[in-house]
Amino acid sequence: MTTEAGGRTVPRERDRPGLTPEESALIVRIGVFVKMRWLAIAGVLIASLLATQVFDIRFSLVPIYIICAVMTLYNLLFLYQSRHLNAEARGWLPDTLVVPLRRLLTIPKATSPLIEKARATGNIHITVDLAALTVLLHYTGGIENPFIFYFVFHVILAGILLHYRVAYLIATWAILLVLLLVGLEYYEVIPHVHLEGFAAAGLHQQGSHILSVLIALSTCLYASAYMVTSISGELRKRQREVVTLQQKGLTEKTRELEEAGKELTKLEEGRQHLLRFLAIASHDLKAPLSAVQSYIQLMLGGFSGELTDKQRQMLDRSSTRITEQLELISDLLDISRIEGGQMVKEMEEVSLSQIVKDSVENVRAMAADKKVKLSIKMPASLPKVKASGARLKQVITNLLGNAVKFTPENGAVLFRVTEQNGNILTEVMDTGTGISADDLPKIFDDFYRGGNKEKTGTGLGLSIVRRVVEAHGGKVWAESPNPEDKKGRGSKFTFTLPHNLIIAGKKQNQRGRIRSQKT
Amino acid sequence: MAYKVLLVDDDPDIRDVVTMLLEAKGYETVTACDGIECLAALRAEEPDLMIIDLLMPKMDGFAVLKELEDGRWSKYRHIPILILSSVREEASRRRYELETALEFNVDDYVEKPITPDILLERVQRLLNKSKKV
Repeated sequence: MTTEAGGRTVPRERDRPGLTPEESALIVRIGVFVKMRWLAIAGVLIASLLATQVFDIRFSLVPIYIICAVMTLYNLLFLYQSRHLNAEARGWLPDTLVVPLRRLLTIPKATSPLIEKARATGNIHITVDLAALTVLLHYTGGIENPFIFYFVFHVILAGILLHYRVAYLIATWAILLVLLLVGLEYYEVIPHVHLEGFAAAGLHQQGSHILSVLIALSTCLYASAYMVTSISGELRKRQREVVTLQQKGLTEKTRELEEAGKELTKLEEGRQHLLRFLAIASHDLKAPLSAVQSYIQLMLGGFSGELTDKQRQMLDRSSTRITEQLELISDLLDISRIEGGQMVKEMEEVSLSQIVKDSVENVRAMAADKKVKLSIKMPASLPKVKASGARLKQVITNLLGNAVKFTPENGAVLFRVTEQNGNILTEVMDTGTGISADDLPKIFDDFYRGGNKEKTGTGLGLSIVRRVVEAHGGKVWAESPNPEDKKGRGSKFTFTLPHNLIIAGKKQNQRGRIRSQKT
Repeated sequence: MAYKVLLVDDDPDIRDVVTMLLEAKGYETVTACDGIECLAALRAEEPDLMIIDLLMPKMDGFAVLKELEDGRWSKYRHIPILILSSVREEASRRRYELETALEFNVDDYVEKPITPDILLERVQRLLNKSKKV
């Protein structure tokens, strides 16, 4: 195989799935060499034409054409082979031939059947090329032709594609073929084709010339075999190392993931355990108080006989204190459940309008008692959100409740919901006593009751509000005095619900707008 | 004829309170301490109303509800059930539905601590409804 090709591009390794870098490189290279063979065939034709037409070297072109035609045919066959090179295709060489041959040359079996097949294919291609070159040389002057040194390409190809010992084998084949050719021509067993106008006649029978060419050729071929195989061997070793490293890395990562998975399961179990514990603890803490409260209520209801004023007063106070205690226990349980991530698990699709309606109902009576005007401003349709309905109800009830509690008689509380930049904004404004500048930054803290004269409540209400809003991804803050109040009274509490909670396209129309309450 | 109410709660003070309350209004009461006694009393007494606590030892209120869904108890299906518990209604509903995949099918739910007027009103309402049936 002769080649005119100049700069050769490095074959790009298209990563086919499931192939190691070594396998895909091998298959790609065989394809590349098939392409290069086209160039070689073209080169032969061009060189022959140049030689006869331009340089006036005379020799018959007909055999050249015939050989080129044959080469074209077999390269087409090779092209088909290289395209269909996959592990499923059965080899055309029976194993009975291949195995003893391999053993003879002490070549180890390749690391994968695909590589085996690819190498066998490469072997065939190179051997055929050797034969083609020899025949070509015969018809273009034999020992006279300097292109006799092109056998070096076969050796290099073998070194790249095949096992290293095969490269030396190919080199030996080449030498033997040349010997055969030159020998036959020397002893005139076959006719010698003479390059008229290029070399001296009778060169093919000049012993010194033949010997020198043979020595030069042999040393060239074996040295090239050595150089190529050492480089190629290195390359292959590196490629195998890469694969091993990759696999080691993968095993490491898998092990780490398993460990992490186990950790997570343990954590989850721990959390479940804690929640069960909390549920039992809270029940056990509440039960005695419930019983006591029930007795007190019964007594206050007159079911245990007539009560004196003093008795009634003391029972009232006791009942109030117990109610506070029960609320505190509920709040504590709420907080631990929120902190434990339980609320996030309970989030589902809820209707904001319904939640607002229910919360307002909870405070309506209290507002009416105090003659506080309760007005609601809501858009006609509010979207559905993914949230914890019960908790949001708790939040709104708490804020409205506080607003009413801290607003004197005949005051006003305004509850407003709007959509701003895709987020939902809820504002509760009152005309009450407001919050001092000292207290304002601390009101959302746990157990903070502030300097207000009314020291009722657990002090956890706003901290639960904060936790719930933040667990939904929103923010809550307070301003005092209410910036929208013309007389500079009261406070304004605002909380946001981020847009990612909104379930798109599910707006619910309000039926029966909530009217403002005035009593 | 006086209405017969079956009251199930493991807390003796709660049993005391509710019994006092109901008897003051002229109802007859039968008590049980846990789910097992509850089912036995149901068979024996055939009450007009059941007031059941949820958290009890041996067999709790949830288990009783689940048991009553079974065909064996179909002849008692008409008896209204009022749950009296310190657990919030929503939490109980969620827990029951999660654990049994059945609907939390009770006629009323009252949270402890007991406000006498509220409990009496609910009991009355349920008994009137079932009388009409």
